Amino acid sequence: MTSDDRNPRDLLPLSPAVFHILLSLVDGERHGYAIMRDVEERTGGEVRLGPGTLYGAIKRLLEQGVVEELEERPASDAGDERRRYYRLTGFGRQVVVAEAERLERLVRQAQAKKLVPRVDTV
Amino acid sequence: MLHGARVVRAAEALYRVLLRAYPRAFRERFGEEMALAFRDATRAALGAGGVRSVVALWFRFLVDLLVSVARERVAARRAEAPGRRPAKRFGSGASPRRGDPMVAVFLQDIRQSMRALLRRPGFTLAASLTLALGIGANVAIFAVVTAVLIRPLPYPESERIVVLRHHAPGLNLPQLENSPGKIRLYRAHARSFSSLAVVSGRERNLTGGDRPARVRVVEVTPEFFDVLRVQPVMGRRFLPGDAEPGAPRVAVLTHAGWSSQFGRAPDIIGRVVEFDGEPTEIVGVMPEGFAYPTEETLALLPMWVDPNGPFGTFGLSVVARLAPGVTLETAANEVAQLQARIPEIDGEITADFLQRAGWNATVTELKEVVVGDVATTLWVVLSTVGFLLLVACASVANLFLVRAEARRKELAVRTALGATRTRLAAGFLSESLLLGLAGGVLGVLLAVMGVRALVAAGPSNLPRLHEVNVDAVVLLFAVGLSVLSGLAFGALPLPRFLARPLAAGLREGRGDTGGRDRQRVRQGLIAAQIALSLMLLTGSGLLLRSFQRLRAVDPGFRPEDVLTVGVSRGERQGRNDPTGFYRRILDEVRALPGVQAVSVTNSLPIEPQGANGSSFEIEGRPRPEGALPPVAMYIVAGPGYFETMGIRLVDGRLPEERDHEGAIPPYVWVSRNFARDFTDGRAIGERVRFGNDTTWLEIAGVVEDVRHFGLDEEPQPMAYLTLNTDAVNIDLSVGHLVVRTTGDPMALAPSVAAAVRRIAPDVPVTAARTMEQIVSRSMAETSFTMIVLIVAGTVSLLLGVIGLYGVIGYVVTQRTREIGVRIALGAAPASVRGMVLRQGLALSLIGVGIGLAGALVLSRLLESLLFGVSSRDPLTLAAVTALLLTASSIAVYLPARRASAVSPMTALRTE
Repeated sequence: MTSDDRNPRDLLPLSPAVFHILLSLVDGERHGYAIMRDVEERTGGEVRLGPGTLYGAIKRLLEQGVVEELEERPASDAGDERRRYYRLTGFGRQVVVAEAERLERLVRQAQAKKLVPRVDTV
Repeated sequence: MLHGARVVRAAEALYRVLLRAYPRAFRERFGEEMALAFRDATRAALGAGGVRSVVALWFRFLVDLLVSVARERVAARRAEAPGRRPAKRFGSGASPRRGDPMVAVFLQDIRQSMRALLRRPGFTLAASLTLALGIGANVAIFAVVTAVLIRPLPYPESERIVVLRHHAPGLNLPQLENSPGKIRLYRAHARSFSSLAVVSGRERNLTGGDRPARVRVVEVTPEFFDVLRVQPVMGRRFLPGDAEPGAPRVAVLTHAGWSSQFGRAPDIIGRVVEFDGEPTEIVGVMPEGFAYPTEETLALLPMWVDPNGPFGTFGLSVVARLAPGVTLETAANEVAQLQARIPEIDGEITADFLQRAGWNATVTELKEVVVGDVATTLWVVLSTVGFLLLVACASVANLFLVRAEARRKELAVRTALGATRTRLAAGFLSESLLLGLAGGVLGVLLAVMGVRALVAAGPSNLPRLHEVNVDAVVLLFAVGLSVLSGLAFGALPLPRFLARPLAAGLREGRGDTGGRDRQRVRQGLIAAQIALSLMLLTGSGLLLRSFQRLRAVDPGFRPEDVLTVGVSRGERQGRNDPTGFYRRILDEVRALPGVQAVSVTNSLPIEPQGANGSSFEIEGRPRPEGALPPVAMYIVAGPGYFETMGIRLVDGRLPEERDHEGAIPPYVWVSRNFARDFTDGRAIGERVRFGNDTTWLEIAGVVEDVRHFGLDEEPQPMAYLTLNTDAVNIDLSVGHLVVRTTGDPMALAPSVAAAVRRIAPDVPVTAARTMEQIVSRSMAETSFTMIVLIVAGTVSLLLGVIGLYGVIGYVVTQRTREIGVRIALGAAPASVRGMVLRQGLALSLIGVGIGLAGALVLSRLLESLLFGVSSRDPLTLAAVTALLLTASSIAVYLPARRASAVSPMTALRTE
């Protein structure tokens, strides 16, 4: 089964942890600890992933073809050679986009109910 | 960071072991990466926030581990299609797949235990919280004990730094420091010391920093830097010339002083500031962590000791470093022998007199002096929480036993299917070890919070408090404690399961009484808990009584409704017309609404800094040949002092206005015991002369004894001088205003401070406090120990009583059928109730008996903390015994009532 003939919406909604992991990988490949750090920094410490949660999610994301493991380490990496790097697949990118759109629709509905102020995006 | 690296490595190894809890496939694919992430995160946390953030991180990761292990295991099971599932492994779970079979079996035990614990979250939570309480309290107090008592002082070879002191029990002088004459003697003849320095703690007004401030300084002779072997990180140390009279004034700042007063200005060296108005150049800054004698010291100033100074003025502290190869004993012997040469310095003193006075010198390690008598308190507190941990372990052991009972059938099935007893035992142990570790992790978390609270709120007189933290040694202690407590209660159920044929468990269908001997262990645990509770409560009771006694002591003055504010004019300025200066301030304050009376003194009761002691003579009463002159303490009492403080006049008259304005002759007031001891009670009209003064002071009145030097100290003979008495060497650098108010004293604090500022805008004013605050602060050590003991005692009482209720309740449940039969056969409910009550009360009586014996032995350790109450105080022992018996009666009565209400029909139907 190739990723192309699957509907990314089938995987929605994503759990917050998974969504954060995928967001981390949007910028490019990362190893596990880098994902943990990125999520923590991006959310100002609000979301902190433990190794168990992170790799449990990665395991399922690998199985679903949302992320894949890099065959070779990026040249920039000077760290431990036991590290493995992960990146989004094409299908994975569609999943993140779909989830973001779903969240945006939700927020719009909340705005319509005047729960949160509307912010015009440029 | 060497410690740090080791901690990270050890933690990673532990985490790798824990990873074995995941399903094998998951572990093989991700285990290595998870361990790497764990290591990286630990390192980052260590770098960012030290041990505390590491502990927080590990706790988070442990929760993460528990949750995700459960999730992955469920996922793994779902993934196995029923057809492909390997033959179900029963009981012992037979074949380890690869690697060292022992290790594999052990890991499997851990996995099973983890599952078993997670299946019963209530039990797991209760047990690990109870343990966490015990372990946490121990780790926190241990952190304090290592920092205060065990860790060496932060100086190179600090165990070779000693303090020289003297004592003369024959003169009722338990402790004397050193005099210029003695220092001359030691410098000339003592060979045991490689260097010897004189130090003296002072307070000075510092101007020229960020803002004017009253600061603590230590005056030191230049050798101080050799004795401590600590050099400034910036600038230079003191040189011999710095201390000479007339030399340009210099100062070395401590790191704390540099930070708090100068904002760590990099160009600090060479800056000129003023100490008590004297222009002083800053020549150096000490390294961080240097805190002599406490972290409150902000600067070092050079001190000059007159080499021709007198023998008899003992006010200087001496620290020295032992010469290479010299032991403490050798030095003590040499110093003791040198005392025989005192007559060479002071011709008035004879060898015979020295002998009668019991004169001698002591050489003590500096650490002992710094730590002081807090050592006793800390050991008492540490043993208290140690007891608490024992009680916690006993409680968890009880929970464990109940669970073991409930699992008899399961165990029997596993045995029948081929599990060996060793395997079952290993299962028990691994479960208790896991619980112990969980308790340990939670406990360390509690300890970190506890230590933070302690440092913030602990007794203010606890030395080295700023050095207290949770470091690698403390963490190691925590791990050891967790494993030990895990083993301690895990091992308890074992003997039974190893000794008896387990298959019997299968046949046990009915709720019969066969469990009676199984109850033995549980009953023993309950008795032990009650005994321990009784010991802890006895300690709390004794301290509570001491506390009451201390509160009930008549201090000789009335501390209620008195506000105090310190006015620090500094030593030189303080002598500039004190009468006029304070008269203006007192008038200004007296005019405030709510002020009943106001006065000023140079030394407050209970916090007696500023008081001076001196020898004196009384006109017409020559002292016996060869005897040292009598010694009394003297302080300054401003206009209206006795009225404001509520000190009663016993004889003669109170001071009047003119007495403070240079009346001739100058008058003095003395305490009742002064009059009794030195003038045979006829003090009025006698004339006294202090130190080397030439002016005679006439005694005009006698006032009530005041416990000026602490509530637990007998009142000392005191003399009260008027403000303008310049006859004696009075310390007038700080004037303490005392204000008696009509309402809440603290409410008046701002207006009093404002009034002082109106009169003297550029004089530092210290924070206002009430006399009552000062009195309670002086009892901080007793109250701190008391609170720890009361909390520990109450918790252990609760755990003990709940345990008792549990055991008796369980017995009743087990015997419901038997009880039903008895009632059906005509037993009266009262007799059934009596039967259960007897059983429960017998248990608590045994505990009380053991506890009383233990309390009688152990409470002696508390003796030095007690005041006015014997360590075997019968009232306390009786009250505590009554409390325990009442509490256990209630715990036993409830199940007993349930037993007597058993309906025979229901009972017989119970299976």
